[in-house]
Amino acid sequence: MLQTNNYSLVLLIQLALLTYDLFVNSFSELLRAAPVVQLVLFIIQDIAILFNVIIILLMLFNTYVFQVGLVSVLLERFRALLLLSALYLALSIALHCWILNLRWLNSNRFVWTDGLQTFFVFQRLAAVLYYYLYKRATEYLGDPRLYEDSPWLRDAFVRARQ
Amino acid sequence: MDLETSKSTRARPSRRGPRALPPMPSQDTGDEMPLAKTKKKKYKKEADGVEEPGMEMGGVGSRRQSESREPLTPEPQDIPPQKKKKKKKLQTPELGAYQEEDPAGQPELVNGDGGEQHTDGEEVTRKTKKKKKSKTPEMHYANELSVEDDDIVTDVQPPIPQHSLFSAPLGHSQPVGKVFVERNKRFQAADRLDLGKPSDQVDDFMEVKPLWSTRDVAMRVHSGFRVIGLFSHGFLAGYAVWNIIVVYVLAGDQLSNLPNLLQQYHSLAYPAQSLLYLLLSISTVSAFDRVNLAKASMALRGFLTLDPAALASFLYFAALILSLSQQMTSDRIHLYPSANETLWPPGSEHQILQPWIVVNLVVALFVGLAWVFISTRPEMDYTEEFLMAMEVEEYPRLDDKAEIPA
Repeated sequence: MLQTNNYSLVLLIQLALLTYDLFVNSFSELLRAAPVVQLVLFIIQDIAILFNVIIILLMLFNTYVFQVGLVSVLLERFRALLLLSALYLALSIALHCWILNLRWLNSNRFVWTDGLQTFFVFQRLAAVLYYYLYKRATEYLGDPRLYEDSPWLRDAFVRARQ
Repeated sequence: MDLETSKSTRARPSRRGPRALPPMPSQDTGDEMPLAKTKKKKYKKEADGVEEPGMEMGGVGSRRQSESREPLTPEPQDIPPQKKKKKKKLQTPELGAYQEEDPAGQPELVNGDGGEQHTDGEEVTRKTKKKKKSKTPEMHYANELSVEDDDIVTDVQPPIPQHSLFSAPLGHSQPVGKVFVERNKRFQAADRLDLGKPSDQVDDFMEVKPLWSTRDVAMRVHSGFRVIGLFSHGFLAGYAVWNIIVVYVLAGDQLSNLPNLLQQYHSLAYPAQSLLYLLLSISTVSAFDRVNLAKASMALRGFLTLDPAALASFLYFAALILSLSQQMTSDRIHLYPSANETLWPPGSEHQILQPWIVVNLVVALFVGLAWVFISTRPEMDYTEEFLMAMEVEEYPRLDDKAEIPA
């Protein structure tokens, strides 16, 4: 059974990482005076996304539903989040590499092209969807039914075996 | 004599019986082991002697007990232990006389198995009864104390091998009123009937004890974020309107003074864009939360029924896309002071800035409209209802889902 304190702590960490992510997405363009600052911010952001994915995976592994083997039930609910997290991580790393590569020598120059602009829009939109799905998933993982035996789970188990 | 020999032959298996079970006494502590063994054997013999005609051994055993434990008693000292051993081996008819004292010596045990005694030869029983009458007053005192000892040692162990060896276990698991439950590191007796009640109490206690369950924490976080979102909706609407007003004021009448706008606004453009993205992100997530976008059926139903939250989330998402698409222009405005001719060719201000201003206007309109929609029903939150209903509604809902493909 998931303890409330543990869940609160994990939730706090997840939301803090999300907040940092949102902060960097919003204001990284303003903090480009030195390319090293942006580099550090981007590295921490990508690690934060990775950490968030790892944490949500660990939380999924911790559920009773997963431990009895009903991975499909969990995947059905969190597939969108897992796919979008992977997509967002890939987009973020790619965009960070691209922007840093363009601005490394001269951080205060105009680097935008149509391709970069499009990529930027997709990355930022994916970020918003990622925030929404991630926040929803973390709240949903507080469902006590996922951590204990229940008629619902037994029914799902019987259906999975058929 | 025939009777006696038959007794002796029957008595032998009973003597072997206990020997066939050496591991049983090993459960006791080392100090008590030998004593328990001998007593157990004695008891065995007694029991067999009572059950079957081979009572001699039991009689000797009981006498030995009384001798060894109560040297003060007058009677048992007549016979030295060596003699008894010899008699034990030989099993002479004389032993019958000693054995006859046994029922008197162990009145409780004999009474316990009295029914079986009657099945044997009647002569023997009569003899014992006669002797009983004569010797009971003396033996009563002699064995009063020993009975207690016997109870302590032999009560628990001997019946188990007896039954397991010679007969099928008959009703061993009789329901006992008392049950021993471990509480505070001690086993305490508790009534079986009461056992159900404490478990219920424990369940109630377990349900009450955690002030906040994980679901409550999730609900609190969700409602907390909804408050932030509500603030963000209003702030974003006000900020967007203020932004577009400032832009139009600086641009002058019919966008006639665009260089002035660039001069005044270039330092504000990029921070404004960043702040707009921040507020739009929070507002969009909050609007998605309200319409529960992840549940496609619910979201679609919301859009089709022109639900305010669904419309608001659509408007926010559109505003977000439009706002992000102006990132390049914002950066261009931001770099206006240090710009060369390639970035800001002379006379290109109107061409570059007009779409940017129009998009900003549309964003401000969308954001304002979305805020109006949200503010008509600020308490509506389908995700919260979904989280609240996790325990009740999800079960049948999933059932329906599963039945449709089947």
